[in-house]
Amino acid sequence: MSSTRPEAGGAAPVSVEEARGLLDAELAAAAGRGGLLPGDVHELKVRWLGKKQGVVTTLLARLKEVPKEEKAAFGAGVNALKQEVEARLDVLEAEASARAAALAEAAKAVDVTLPPRVPPVGRLHPLTVVRRRIEHVFRGLGYEVADGPEIETDWYNFESLNFAPDHPARDSVDTFFIEGGGTGRDALLLRTHTSPVQMRTMEGRRPPIRVLCPGRVYRKDDIDPRHSPVFHQMEGLVVDEGITFAHLRGTLSAFAKSFFGGRAEVRLAPTFFPFVEPGVDCAVSCVFCETGCRICSYSGWIEIMGAGMVHPNVLANAGIDPERYTGFAFGMGIDRIAMLLHGIPALRLLFENDVRFLDRTWS
Amino acid sequence: MKFRLEWLGQYLPGDLPDLATLRRRLTDVGFIVEGTEGEGKDAVLEVELTANRPDGMNHRGLAREAACALGRPFRDVPVPAPAEGAAAVSSLATVTIAAPELCSRYSARVVEGIRVREASARVQVRLRALGMNPISAPVDATNHVLWDLGQPLHAFDLETLAKGPDGLPAIVVRLARAGETLVTLDGVERTLTPEDLVIADAERPVALAGVMGGLETAITPSTTRVLLESAHFNATAVRKTARRHGMHTDASHRFERGTDPETTVEALDRVTELLLADCGGTVARGVIDALGTPRPRQTVTLRHARLVSFLGMEVPLPRCAEILSSLAFGVREAAPGVLEVSVPTWRVDVEQECDLIEEVIRVVGYSSLPETLPHAYNPTWSEPTLAREERARDLFAAAGFAEACTYSFVSAEENSPFASCVDGTPPVVSNALGEPFTTMRSTPVVGLLRAARHNVRRGLGDLALFEVGRSYALVEGRPVESRRAAILLRGRRGVHWAAEARPADFYDGSGAVAALFAGFGAPAPAFRPAALPFLAPGRSAEVVADGKVAGWVGVLAGPLGATWDLGEAVVADVELAAIPVPSPPSSVEMPSRFPGSGVDLTVTHPIALSWDTLVAAVRTGAPAELLSVEAKYLWRGAGVPEGHVKTTLTVAFGSAERSLERDEINRWRDEAARRLLAVPGAAVDGIS
Repeated sequence: MSSTRPEAGGAAPVSVEEARGLLDAELAAAAGRGGLLPGDVHELKVRWLGKKQGVVTTLLARLKEVPKEEKAAFGAGVNALKQEVEARLDVLEAEASARAAALAEAAKAVDVTLPPRVPPVGRLHPLTVVRRRIEHVFRGLGYEVADGPEIETDWYNFESLNFAPDHPARDSVDTFFIEGGGTGRDALLLRTHTSPVQMRTMEGRRPPIRVLCPGRVYRKDDIDPRHSPVFHQMEGLVVDEGITFAHLRGTLSAFAKSFFGGRAEVRLAPTFFPFVEPGVDCAVSCVFCETGCRICSYSGWIEIMGAGMVHPNVLANAGIDPERYTGFAFGMGIDRIAMLLHGIPALRLLFENDVRFLDRTWS
Repeated sequence: MKFRLEWLGQYLPGDLPDLATLRRRLTDVGFIVEGTEGEGKDAVLEVELTANRPDGMNHRGLAREAACALGRPFRDVPVPAPAEGAAAVSSLATVTIAAPELCSRYSARVVEGIRVREASARVQVRLRALGMNPISAPVDATNHVLWDLGQPLHAFDLETLAKGPDGLPAIVVRLARAGETLVTLDGVERTLTPEDLVIADAERPVALAGVMGGLETAITPSTTRVLLESAHFNATAVRKTARRHGMHTDASHRFERGTDPETTVEALDRVTELLLADCGGTVARGVIDALGTPRPRQTVTLRHARLVSFLGMEVPLPRCAEILSSLAFGVREAAPGVLEVSVPTWRVDVEQECDLIEEVIRVVGYSSLPETLPHAYNPTWSEPTLAREERARDLFAAAGFAEACTYSFVSAEENSPFASCVDGTPPVVSNALGEPFTTMRSTPVVGLLRAARHNVRRGLGDLALFEVGRSYALVEGRPVESRRAAILLRGRRGVHWAAEARPADFYDGSGAVAALFAGFGAPAPAFRPAALPFLAPGRSAEVVADGKVAGWVGVLAGPLGATWDLGEAVVADVELAAIPVPSPPSSVEMPSRFPGSGVDLTVTHPIALSWDTLVAAVRTGAPAELLSVEAKYLWRGAGVPEGHVKTTLTVAFGSAERSLERDEINRWRDEAARRLLAVPGAAVDGIS
């Protein structure tokens, strides 16, 4: 910005009219140059309104030279000029400060497209997220969450649950044993299901019982896309007076609709688990397709859990009178449901902890 | 298991059932048809049978279920007794049951003068359909009856059986004697134990009862005289023997699950009929039918009211009776609404009323059950340990850590550096899949190391992982599981183009631990220098809460970092139960409206003089207005003597009741400075 001072040697105006003309000319010239900053306006103020040599002051000093009869008019004219100058420079000053502020902001501008400074974003494991979703549904139905040891005894894992010693039903669950445990019902093993938690819960409390038992379970399976020697189960147990098989069906249906969507239907089929009678396989109508897909093996149904009415022997083993109380139990694989929901192609992804996998958002 | 439609049809009078309908209905009643092959009478069904239904593991048994499921009649195929010769069987062989508890029945026939030929085309077609290769008529006949009636049979060459004192070939059902051996049909010599139930002749074991026959007494192409065995063995005895010898046969599969003792003679007659038709010969007169201790007949009461209240739906009593009758249960209404139900001898699974209720509802169909919910219920209890685990997960996730899920077992070698993390010894899996799955981890950190290595090897080196899980130990033979929160940090922290990133260090680890405590509202833990074999000396600490060790944190020891391909990694493990979580507040005081004031003190001191010592000096004798002591800046280098560090502390004062005067703050600061100066080796800027 060049100086707003008039060229040196310019004569001071001798009349209000001349001064006004000069003011018009100077302000027009300043406007023509554009971009006045507060300093420039300050200089204009000093030049026009300065107490010693300002144009207005200088003009007013001519009052003594003005004929007496013109003094009043001259004085009024100079005063009006002064007010006009003040007003016009105030406007310029406000514009200049806004301009200066804008320039200062512009100087701080950044490239907003550069990568942001992201605070570390943590993630919950998909198994945690899916487990909590399942728990959420059942908590809404009044279930509490129970817990128990993973290193169990044969009694809690098998015998109390109506798996007789040397019964072929044990063939379906290949079990890891722990060295140095006892023998028979005291043998130590890695629990093959979370059902021991059901038994421990029933021993510790009287009906009504409504619990969920989530947890880690172990079976001697070689690792392949669908098998892992460690996986996770969510079992549920309800024991009370008047619990019926229809309650089991209704509960599984309510879960399916809540978890998979309102259109989901459940289908129960007879099967055998030693700790329930009748035992059922529960399938849910495929929510991924209308006409059959790979996920449901083109059957329209996806098996999601086993269930059944608690066997009277199991109730009796827990010291609960099976004539007075009935109950149902169900169990599902959390890993399997996570795989289903998210199209996870291999179980090992859940245990490998590749951060590219863990950094996904689940459910 | 495979089933041939034509074979099933033998028991279903009328047209063969429609394959698709049969498939659906069998599945509905609990016999899951996984697939079918072929069409018409040659169709074969692949059926999944549950362990409790050995009676369905043969064509007659499955046909009975099919008839009931389809609402069609079932027709048994009568087996006429074979035309017998003059010689009485009792003059040709003897049978003795010396272990009556383990063998409730041993039936036998003798056929003489056979010529071993091929089985008939019909038998061969059927066996081939089930995936078996025909061998010879006698062997195929026994297999045919097994798949027809479910009764395993065995044929001995009578000439090879040693004779007893009475001069007759002897069959003795007994326990083996220690040291006895038997070469089974598969050619393997087996050393027997006194727990093995065997069929012996007068001298030696000739078969593993219910599992496999012996090679020396087997039928050969030159066999002419045959003793046919049809027996009922104790399920547990057969199972134990089969498992002990690592064997699993069609016969053991059925005996283990339970066979029908009433079928032995019927099966014998049927196999004899097949044998005579294909190989000729003469049947000796009569059947040897030795009895052990019989299994009691089951009678079960079914109360209709109980059925209705158990199911939550009405099934009319006559319909219940009809269903049970069609499955060959004997039904008698003992009182109004009460059925006395006698259980067919082949139904080893039916023992109680609930078993009968299942019979009814599986035929009625589970799809007819109403969908109802139990009455409303208010939870009264929750598991505090689980709540704590969940909180820890959320806290770490919020702090920028990714949750890992690792196996609970690791290799013995991987675990051994960390064994001191637990009291007692690490539990060892006696029948593990092999390494690295043998040893229950002493800390979840071992799993995190594996997870970290996986990522580092894939070029993903900046890691912040956590796992909330258990550690395991055996203490005096008893399992102890401890719930832990473990973390692993590695690589760069604060990666951004605007400033240089720094590597994760000890304080990231101790900071994460402190954040965990803070998240629980617990007092900040103390970090106490500790020598732990798996952590770098001088960069390792125990986490102390309430005066007790609650965990540890530090930089992974150099050799371990190298072993795991991680270089420097920061790890920590905290026992969740050891975090002193306070009760939630029942009332909260108003935060002070008077701003406090902070003053700085700069202390030059030997490096060995710990921060904790400086803080203690400031705090000891400080006024109640002392709010906090923070480390503002540490400097080593120019202007600071070798072996020393210049530490600037910010000491904050404040009061809930009033504004503090500058004079009193300065006085407190000077007092603190003098206390610092009293610490041996410490010098305070501006104070001497």
